[in-house]
Amino acid sequence: MTPTIMQEDHRANQPKAATAGLPQGYTAPTGGRPDFLAVKEFNFFYGKKQALYDITMDIPEKQVTAFIGPSGCGKSTLLRNFNRMNELIDGIRHQGEITLLGRSIFDPKIEVIALRRSIGMVFQKSNPFPKSIYENIVYSLRIAGQNSKSILDETVERSLRGAALWDEVKDRLHDSALSLSGGQMQRLCIARAIANRPKVLLMDEPCSALDPIATAKVEDLIHELKREFTIVIVTHNMQQATRCSDRTAFFYLGKLIEFDVTQKIFSNPSEKQTEDYITGRFG
Amino acid sequence: MPTHILSTFEDALNSLRNDALMMSSLTERNLANTRKGLFERDEDWCNTVIADDEEIDTLEVQVDREGINVMLRFHPMASDMRNVIATMKLSVNLERVADQAVNIARRSRKLITRPEAPEVAQLHPIFQCAEGMVKDAVRAFADRDVALSRALMERDRELDEMNRNYAERMTDLMSKNVESIPTYMDLIFISRFLERIGDQAKNIGEDTVYAISAEEIRHTNRAAM
Amino acid sequence: MDQTAQPTDFFTPAESSKANIRALTNRVLSASCIIISLLTLVPLFSIVYLLLQKGLPLLQPAVFTTLPPAAGMVGGGFGNAVLGTLLMVGIGLVIAAPLGILSAIYINEYSPASRLANAVRFVAKLLTGIPSIICGVFAFAVVVLTTGQFSAYAGGVALAVLMLPTILLTSEQALMGVQNAYREASYGLGATKFQTITRIVLPDAVSAIMTGIMLAVARAAGETAPLIFTALFSQFWAKSFNEPTASLSVLIYNFSTVPFPYQVQMAWTASLVLVFLVTVANITAQLAFSKKE
Repeated sequence: MTPTIMQEDHRANQPKAATAGLPQGYTAPTGGRPDFLAVKEFNFFYGKKQALYDITMDIPEKQVTAFIGPSGCGKSTLLRNFNRMNELIDGIRHQGEITLLGRSIFDPKIEVIALRRSIGMVFQKSNPFPKSIYENIVYSLRIAGQNSKSILDETVERSLRGAALWDEVKDRLHDSALSLSGGQMQRLCIARAIANRPKVLLMDEPCSALDPIATAKVEDLIHELKREFTIVIVTHNMQQATRCSDRTAFFYLGKLIEFDVTQKIFSNPSEKQTEDYITGRFG
Repeated sequence: MPTHILSTFEDALNSLRNDALMMSSLTERNLANTRKGLFERDEDWCNTVIADDEEIDTLEVQVDREGINVMLRFHPMASDMRNVIATMKLSVNLERVADQAVNIARRSRKLITRPEAPEVAQLHPIFQCAEGMVKDAVRAFADRDVALSRALMERDRELDEMNRNYAERMTDLMSKNVESIPTYMDLIFISRFLERIGDQAKNIGEDTVYAISAEEIRHTNRAAM
Repeated sequence: MDQTAQPTDFFTPAESSKANIRALTNRVLSASCIIISLLTLVPLFSIVYLLLQKGLPLLQPAVFTTLPPAAGMVGGGFGNAVLGTLLMVGIGLVIAAPLGILSAIYINEYSPASRLANAVRFVAKLLTGIPSIICGVFAFAVVVLTTGQFSAYAGGVALAVLMLPTILLTSEQALMGVQNAYREASYGLGATKFQTITRIVLPDAVSAIMTGIMLAVARAAGETAPLIFTALFSQFWAKSFNEPTASLSVLIYNFSTVPFPYQVQMAWTASLVLVFLVTVANITAQLAFSKKE
């Protein structure tokens, strides 16, 4: 008997069962456009340095898609391309296409501002404005010229309820946003991002600065939110990806290695690199 | 394949596997001792088997606890998860094999008190088949041999066939030789225990195939048949 | 003694005496720092004491409402000088503050790495060291010679040149102090650059900008050289901006060099008032624009 674990690559020898690794009778959630947010042969450059190579993927509607991969693999870069936030940096360049509902997001006829209003973003470190809770949420409405009090009030309640924060702050809407706890601040940022009813919600490691209870509340919230929004979440935490997402994409060194139903990626991935990463054998 | 970056994880997986393999060698030894006790009509070997079963039971609990510990601490994914689960199931199946060995040993002790019967020797091929299946199931697990594991399906069918034929013959003899009925009953039971041992070995094979290739082959054979 | 692989044992006599020396050195240096800091307060408090001692006797409300006495006379005050200082610092602010703040916005928000931005920064840093008399000469050449007139305008322009580099650089620092996370959040919500600057960046930077302005004002209010040949001096209330105007700094300069003790006394009081005005302006600005946490 060999005392160490001998791991041969079984994939070369065995035929792959289509549902191998999934529970019996499992079907991925369907309904909604499968190519709601589509990426086609997308390459991205910071000056001379190429950060993304030929990415092609279809992100389905009203599901949670997780991007995983080691640091520097390009997952945040791709995420920030969806709402063209990378254009705030000088010297960037792209080739290829990204479409939302079939329409290119780089179409010169589309105003970047309008695009960003229909795509909400939540950042790793919660960044509420140094204003009141109320003003934080209605910011996106005010900059669009909407100042009617009744509409603003309704938006604030709807967004805070949607972010599971209403009961905690409804009596102090005009207090400073900075007086909230870390977890509450992040939920406020989510409320702020959904105030304008975006089509897509992008989340860049939203829980990495939160304690486990706050994290659990945000994850529960994500589960609720996906009924209305398409969500893309970048995460370092693989357990979070398994808990929250329907589909997972694994990136490495700027390339998309594998993109599939989450259950499959984490129980029986097709690519050896994916397996090495998720089992902690990388390096 | 590279080892895990976290060495404590790698060590825990190795320890789990080694305990399971230790358990399998003890089980094989017990089965061999049962064979000696039955065919050589040696009561000492039967008693040894019954006594040694306790060690195997302890190991089963230990493997179970270690497996749960690995899952709690390290959240194994993909092939690691399948391997841990397969190892834990292996220990359950081995413990059952050991229990069947004990059952055979008890029956053998009773047989020894009665006059020697020629039908005992006819159990040889059945015992060989069952014992061989257990050995191969464990080897296939240790060597990650999918083909060998798959082959256990067919061999289990053959074992079932052998058991059926033997039971028929014994039942036949019972109607002709009324005073030897207790002996024939014991033999039928022993054959039955050996058939169950074969089932356990087949289960081990199914779990091994799942652990290696994520392919589910349990309960598919009836449809194929 | 084996010094290679042994971990340091802190309880041996050799180690503990080293520790004692370290502790003693630490205490000596800390004490010296404290003493020296206290010493630096001495000139500051001396000035305040001296001002109060010499300036308080003549300090009455009338001082703000009456005109300076003629040479050798007693009575009167320096109301026109106070007004003149306020007017000219005001004019200087009206010119320098928008220029400085808007330039800071350009070099920090619009194109921080451009050659123009780098040039502006470089020149501003140079100009912070400009001798104040050069500001006066510049304003003399540009305003006084072209209008043919000494005026408050000229004085204001001279003070503006003096204040501009400080306002620009401190405003830039204030803008840099605004967390980039706020800008990102604002752009992510679909705001334009202009909206981000006016709704998020400036409100957050305003207290730091005000501090910078107050610094500039404090310096400008006390400068004499730029005003000497731009606004000159006047014994009378200013009736328009286009005539020689009195100012506290020039009054102090004039009165402290004449042989009349009353005028000298008045100069002390004027100094006290000047310091007082600058302090009040500073405190008001701090209170009005402090960040509410």
